[in-house]
Amino acid sequence: MDVDTGNMTQTNLVDKVVVPGDVVLDLTKMENQTIKLGSGLRQDCDYISVMQAGKLRLSKPNKYWVESSQKRYVPRLEDTVLGIVVEHRSDNFLVDIKAPNLAFLPVLAFEGGTRRNIPKFETGTLIYARVVKANGIMNPELSCTDASGKAAEFGQLKNGYMFETSTGLARMLLSSPTCPVLEALGNKISFETAVGLNGRVWVNASSPDDVILVSNAIMRSEFLSGTQQRIMAEKLLERLQKS
Amino acid sequence: MEQRWANTSRLTINEKQFIEEALRSEIRVDGRRLYDYRRLTIKFGRYRCLPRATILSCKCYHLRFSLFCCNCREDGSSEVQLGETHVMAFVTGQLLQPYRDRPNEGTLAIFTEFSPMADPSFEPGRPGEAAIELGRVIDRGLRESRAVDMESLCVVAGKSVWAIRVDLHIIDNGGNLIDAANIAALAALSTFRRPECSVGGDDNQEIIVHDPEVRDPIPLTIHHFPIAVTFAFFHEGNTLVIDPHYKEEAVSGVRMTVTVNSNGDVCAIQKAGGEGILSGDVMRCLRIASLKASEMTTKIKEAVETYNAEVALKKVKRHPSLIAQKITVPDVEMKEASFQKTKELSADMENSPNQTSTSLTTTKDKDTNASIGRPLNWDPYSSSAPAIVSSSTLPELVGTSKDANEDQMMQTDEEYDPNLKKDQIASATGVSSGIHKQNSPPKSLKDAVKPKHKRKKNAERGAR
Repeated sequence: MDVDTGNMTQTNLVDKVVVPGDVVLDLTKMENQTIKLGSGLRQDCDYISVMQAGKLRLSKPNKYWVESSQKRYVPRLEDTVLGIVVEHRSDNFLVDIKAPNLAFLPVLAFEGGTRRNIPKFETGTLIYARVVKANGIMNPELSCTDASGKAAEFGQLKNGYMFETSTGLARMLLSSPTCPVLEALGNKISFETAVGLNGRVWVNASSPDDVILVSNAIMRSEFLSGTQQRIMAEKLLERLQKS
Repeated sequence: MEQRWANTSRLTINEKQFIEEALRSEIRVDGRRLYDYRRLTIKFGRYRCLPRATILSCKCYHLRFSLFCCNCREDGSSEVQLGETHVMAFVTGQLLQPYRDRPNEGTLAIFTEFSPMADPSFEPGRPGEAAIELGRVIDRGLRESRAVDMESLCVVAGKSVWAIRVDLHIIDNGGNLIDAANIAALAALSTFRRPECSVGGDDNQEIIVHDPEVRDPIPLTIHHFPIAVTFAFFHEGNTLVIDPHYKEEAVSGVRMTVTVNSNGDVCAIQKAGGEGILSGDVMRCLRIASLKASEMTTKIKEAVETYNAEVALKKVKRHPSLIAQKITVPDVEMKEASFQKTKELSADMENSPNQTSTSLTTTKDKDTNASIGRPLNWDPYSSSAPAIVSSSTLPELVGTSKDANEDQMMQTDEEYDPNLKKDQIASATGVSSGIHKQNSPPKSLKDAVKPKHKRKKNAERGAR
C-alpha cells in the first residue's frame, strides 16, 4: 500500500476527494488516541484506508468519515427512509426502499398496532419509516414507530409529490443548519417535505404550482454551492412571480 | 422473485394523483407546458473511436473494402437526447439480393435494441413487445411513406441492391422513446454515405465497389422527413400532452403516435392503450403534430448541415497529393487496373509484377498489423532491397514505401497508421534522406510526395 500521502497524525486529505485504496491515517504514528471511523473507512492493520469514493470529512476531535453519493441505497440502521409498498403479506408489508432487497415492514410496527387495526396500505402507498434491521444479506426491516413506540410522523404520506434523487442530495437536504435551497424557498412558499436517506423526497404544498416549483428547485440544487442555490431559488421564484 | 421486484421502478399513488391534478391546471411536473418538447440534442459520428477489429459488422460486398470503410463509420450514426431519453442510431449498408417482387428497389430494415441499462424492465435477449412495437412504428413511418428513395439503391436489377439497415439502441429510457428513436433514425440516415459502385469488369456484370478514398461516397436520397409526435391522454381524453416523460407515460395509459412530415402528409398513426379517444381528438392531434413536425424538421436539418459542414472542412485538410495517388486499391477486380498503373510507374523496374503481387498479397497482413511500420513485406528478391539505411526512421519509411500505394489510402485516417502518418510528415518535410536512394522502388508515392528532393523524381513523375 502506498504510504506517502496522508500518513500523519493529522491527515491532510480532509475535505478532499478520496478514492478506494487511499490511506488516510497511519496508526503507527499515533499513540493513545481514539479515532472514530464512520462510513467508507476501514482499518487495515496499521492503516486506515478508504473504501468508498467520496469526500473525506472530519468532525473534531476524532470522527472521520467519507461522504459519497449514489443512486442506489445501502440500508443502514436508524436511517429514515421513504418506501413504496409493493405487497401485503400476512405479517408484514413488502416495501421498496431502493435497496438491493425489498424491506419488510411488520404489520404491527405502528403506534398502537394490534391484529385488529392493521393499516390498509395498497400497492403504491408511500411510507415514511425507519430502518431497524440492516445487514448485508437479509432483507432489511422497517418500523413506523420511533424507539419509544410513538408514531413521530412515521407512516403513510398522503397527497403531495415524490421524486427520486441521489443519496448525497438527500443528506444535504437533511443537514443542519438548513440547506440553503430549502431556506430560500421557505421564505416565500409554505410547503412541507419528507426526505428519505434512500434518495427519495416527498413535497407537499397547497397548490400544484408550488409543489412543482419546490421539487424542480431541489432537483437542480444538487451540484450548486450555498450561494448558487439561493440565487437559483430566487430566480425561479421571480420567474413565477411569487416574490 | 423478490429480487426481480426490487429492481423495477414504481409509481406511487401520490405521484399518480398529483400528475393528474397538475394537468387539470395545465402544468406538467417538469415545468413544461402541455405542447412543449423537452430539450433536444443531436450528435453525429460517434463511431470513430472504435477499434478496427470491431468494425467489421459492416459486411460490405468486398472484404478488402470493409477494412477500409472505417471512414464511413463516422457517417450514418447519430446520438439523440430528448430530455433524459437517450437513443443512438447506426446506419449500415450492404449489397444483397433484392426481394423477388421488387427487383429494382433497395431495402430498408429497422432493428431495435433495448439495452437493459436503459430501464429496469428491459431484459437482455430477444426484443420484447415494446421493442418490436417501437421498431414497427418507426419502420412504418420511414419505409411505407417512401421517405428514403429505394430505386436509387439498385445496382444491378434483380441481382444486387443496397440493403440499408438502421440499428436503434436505447441507452436511457426517460419516456417517449418513439419520437427520440425516430429523430435518431432520420439524423443517421441523413448523414449516411454509401460507397459508390459501378458495374464493369469483364462481362459488364461485375460490381465494383469503390473505396471511399477513390470516389466520394454518396448520400441517400431522402424525399421528406417523417417526424413522429407522441401524445399521451389523461382524464379520459380531455387533456393531452406531447412528449410524455417516463412518469407521465406510466400514469396515462393511452398513447397515440402520429407520424407526419412538414408538408402535412400523414405517414402513420398508431394508438396504444386501453381507453378510447374521440375522432375529434385524433384530428386535433394531427393538426398539432404537423406544426411540431415542421419545427422538428428544421432542427434536424440544421444539425445535419452543421455536421456536414464540419466533415467537409476536415476533408479539405488532406494532403493534396494524396488524392491523386490512390492507385493500387487492392480489390481483386482492380488488380488489373492497378497492375497496369504500377507498371507505368515502375517502368524501369524489372520485377514490378513481382513487386505488385507481393505488395498486393502482403497488404492483407499489413492491415492486420498495421502501423507497426517495420520493414515487413519485404520481397527479398526485389532489387529495391533498401540496403541504404542511414537514419533510424528509415526502416519504417523503407518498409512502407513499397506498400506506400496501399498505405496511402489508410493514411488519411489518423487512427490507422500513426507511423505512416509520420512517414507522410517526414517525407513531406523531406527528412528522409535515404529514400531517394531507392531508385528502383516502385515509383513510390513517397517520391511524389516529397517535392523537395530530387529533381529526377520530379522528372520521372512528369513522365508518368
